[in-house]
Amino acid sequence: MKTDRILSIIRIAALVLICLTCLVPFYVLLVLALNSPSRIFYEGNIFVPDFFFSNFIEAWHESRIGQAMVNSAIITSGTLALAIVLGGLAGYAIARRKTRFNKFVFGLLLSCMMIPGIINTVPLYTLMRHLHAVNTLYGMILVCSTLALPSAVFIYSTFISSLPMELDEAAVLDGCTGCSVFWRIIFPVMKPATASFVILNGFGIWNNYSQSVFFLQSRSKQNIPQALSVFFQQFGGADWNMMAATATIAIIPVVAVFLVFQKQFINGLASGAVKG
Amino acid sequence: MKRTITLALAVLMLLPVAFAQGVPEGFGDGGKDVELSFFTGKVETIDVIDGIMDDFNALGNGITIEQEYQNDASNIIKIKFASGEVPDIMTTYEQEYVDQRQYLDLSDMNQWWDRLVPSMKDSCTDVNSGKQFRVCTNMTMAGFFYNKEIFDSLGLVPATNWTDFVKNLEAIKEAYPEIDPWFIFGSEAWSLGHLIEFIPHGYLKAKYGALETKKAMLANDKEVLGFGEPDGAMAAFARGLLEVQQKGLINSDVLTATSDNCIEAFVKGEAAMFSNGMWCLSSILAKDPSMADKIGFAPYPSMMEDGVPVVLVAEDSGYSISASSANQQQAIEFLDYLFSPDNQKRYSEALGSPSAFTDVDAAWAPQSVVDGVNEAVASAANIGYTNEKPAGFTGDDAGRMVQDLLAGRYTAEEFAKAYESAWDAGF
Amino acid sequence: MDVKHKDFVQFLSVPALCLYLVFFVYPLIQGVGMSFTDWDGMGRAAFVGFDNYAAFFSDDRAMNDIRTTIIFAIASATLLNLVGLAYALLMDRRFPLRGLVRVIIYLPAIISPLIMGYIWYFLLQPQRGFLYHALMQLGLPDFVGNWVLSYPKSLAVLVAVNVWQFAGMTMIIYLAGLQSISCDLIDAARIDGAGSTQIFFHIKLPLLVPAIRINVVTNIIGSLSVFDIIMSLTQGGPGYSTESLSIYIMRMCYGNKTGYSTAVAMMLFLIILIPVLVSLRLTQSKD
Repeated sequence: MKTDRILSIIRIAALVLICLTCLVPFYVLLVLALNSPSRIFYEGNIFVPDFFFSNFIEAWHESRIGQAMVNSAIITSGTLALAIVLGGLAGYAIARRKTRFNKFVFGLLLSCMMIPGIINTVPLYTLMRHLHAVNTLYGMILVCSTLALPSAVFIYSTFISSLPMELDEAAVLDGCTGCSVFWRIIFPVMKPATASFVILNGFGIWNNYSQSVFFLQSRSKQNIPQALSVFFQQFGGADWNMMAATATIAIIPVVAVFLVFQKQFINGLASGAVKG
Repeated sequence: MKRTITLALAVLMLLPVAFAQGVPEGFGDGGKDVELSFFTGKVETIDVIDGIMDDFNALGNGITIEQEYQNDASNIIKIKFASGEVPDIMTTYEQEYVDQRQYLDLSDMNQWWDRLVPSMKDSCTDVNSGKQFRVCTNMTMAGFFYNKEIFDSLGLVPATNWTDFVKNLEAIKEAYPEIDPWFIFGSEAWSLGHLIEFIPHGYLKAKYGALETKKAMLANDKEVLGFGEPDGAMAAFARGLLEVQQKGLINSDVLTATSDNCIEAFVKGEAAMFSNGMWCLSSILAKDPSMADKIGFAPYPSMMEDGVPVVLVAEDSGYSISASSANQQQAIEFLDYLFSPDNQKRYSEALGSPSAFTDVDAAWAPQSVVDGVNEAVASAANIGYTNEKPAGFTGDDAGRMVQDLLAGRYTAEEFAKAYESAWDAGF
Repeated sequence: MDVKHKDFVQFLSVPALCLYLVFFVYPLIQGVGMSFTDWDGMGRAAFVGFDNYAAFFSDDRAMNDIRTTIIFAIASATLLNLVGLAYALLMDRRFPLRGLVRVIIYLPAIISPLIMGYIWYFLLQPQRGFLYHALMQLGLPDFVGNWVLSYPKSLAVLVAVNVWQFAGMTMIIYLAGLQSISCDLIDAARIDGAGSTQIFFHIKLPLLVPAIRINVVTNIIGSLSVFDIIMSLTQGGPGYSTESLSIYIMRMCYGNKTGYSTAVAMMLFLIILIPVLVSLRLTQSKD
């Protein structure tokens, strides 16, 4: 009983420490966001900011972060939806029908996941231009889904492989056809896989910069990192207070979505329990 | 069920094709306006350009223009050129595209050249062809910013040669041990690259003239450049830097300090001088407007026996039109509008650098600073910025070599040799 | 089983393949073609055969970058998995505010790594950073010192920041795996007299294989193509000492060696491929 209590104290202490480490940089971000532009960062008490709230108002206008958040949200949800549908279907086929074709598809996707995307830049830009997809959100969604697809296929096929085959067979005996097995039986139990995929890729898409610099050009189409980039000066340094304020604004909806999504996620985990 | 899924699959596969046929951007509201694209990497001018564009678009002369700003403009423009989609107007400029005639020849645009300061027209002139492919609207200067209060309290004047320069630094160090006499923010490689560009390259430009030096650089003429010589300008520069580092006359965190640190140290009076361009003025004044009376500006002292003090006076805000643009006439029309004296006054004041047009009278900085800068420019040899460097050896690469020098990986002579071989390899 | 349905299901991977062929493979083939040319990104390209690949092996900067990349990746992928698993084990039980703690641990992963790197530089900058000043204000000595000047210390800082940022992601995948292990199984083992250690190694670990597979592969790929963190913390410097291969590729691509950069990118692909294949083989499901 005594060792149990000591263990749980250690556990709590560890968790508190972990949480603090995770929060420190956000505290710095917040301090920066709340300091007046004339404040010299390391002067005075570094733990207490100036509470200069007008940074947020100015940052909101100057960065057009509102529009950028809407764009990032459209791109992220569109990309995730497309990648989940295509990746889920492909992952199922790959996990359950180990034909030479499916092995090829899996191998191709997985190897391309390891190829530095920079190689593609010029040909991809040319292609997008011919498709009139440069500077459009759907174009960005297509490019981002393509990049996220290998990860989706990999995660879905790994998860489905770990599901017992009896699940499909029982469904078939119940009269389900091949595809309805997928929709009725497999898709619902794939929630943990979907959650994992969203967790691993969602915020990368939200924060995408390497593709958005090419495919989103006008300020009305820009995403969050591009909105932040206006605070970087050409020769060194940045407008840190403005940038921190903008970044703080941009974090809020993400944290909100994550808090809401978490419930779904836990439900997903519970239904994944068939595995054991 | 099966049929639905087949249908769904067909739709999915046709998705990209369907999008390809989609409505092109920006049309649909029946407008017949010519749409101009404007590409820039100049973050300081986003807002003022947006304002001028709004006014221009409101004129209703059948042209609308939109600005695209990219932080990595010089990289992104390469992808655009390579893919054949070039903006109508751009602020980026590459020697190789000049050689390929990718920019519209602006040599006949006398309505602009007649108004421009002659030396700025020279800076805009392509050395190989003698023609102009860009117009620059502003000038920028670089030299040593120094704290007048500190200098006055010790009775110091800015030095014109290296020996006096070191003496000044030593005097400051002795009187105020807690102040860094010369602050170098070496974590940002570009700033060290600028030191090379202004001091050893500056020596060559002052000695042989801008045009000769540019030609020598394009031809890699070792007689003129002499980068590897143990008694040349490059070795002297390295020797000087190592000397001030050894004597503790520069900040001890030279390799990790950032330009933000530099500005804060200067504003707090913890740094007596630093090298930078006019673009840092607005950051200093944002931190402390009262610095306007304390900012002094001085040329770079010569590190060579036969050298003279130099100050950079370079073109800023260059505009080019794409040679393949279908809307060249409209692009010229917009630039005419942008270059009007009123708009240029607005532009210069937003950018914080003096106009290159003779008929624009802009209050680009507090008067005390403007006077100091003018005096420094008049007192020293004016050097331009050279773009005629090997493409494979950028100013950033040069700055990284200086980092290695300051990290103790080279002697001065080794540095000069290494610089020369990196230069040759970049060719 | 009905053969017809079976045939149909096996082609469910076709739409994904189509999208991929159009937007990745087609541009890729053109891109790889560039690795056999001397294209400078601006002018005309000439075919140079395998010269770029040959040049790679005598390129000192590339060799140094490979070393940095591999050391970073080994340390970072290992630590990410160990730390992520440890976090997940800590979290795998009910306690108050568990949801909040989970969000907090995951928080670092939601902000752009580029900004995070700058924030960390604010914190860790030698002689000036937040940490240095905090230590000074608390009257403690600066135990971090000038890490930028020491190669091992800079790598350690880079790895630590990377682990800090992505441990939450790894944790969640492990947590998903742990929570899908049925309690009955563990209760049964406990009744049979198994201790916590035994339960972990004999029951939990084998059942975590899918999660391990996903985490290991994702982290290997992510760590070997590290870019943002290094770019914003050290810019690969001083000099080129902490440059990663991805940064080198980017710099060459936009420098005047676009053709060569493509060849280096293909080499990086091979460097990533080998450990990924090994870990896939090791975590293959039994059939």
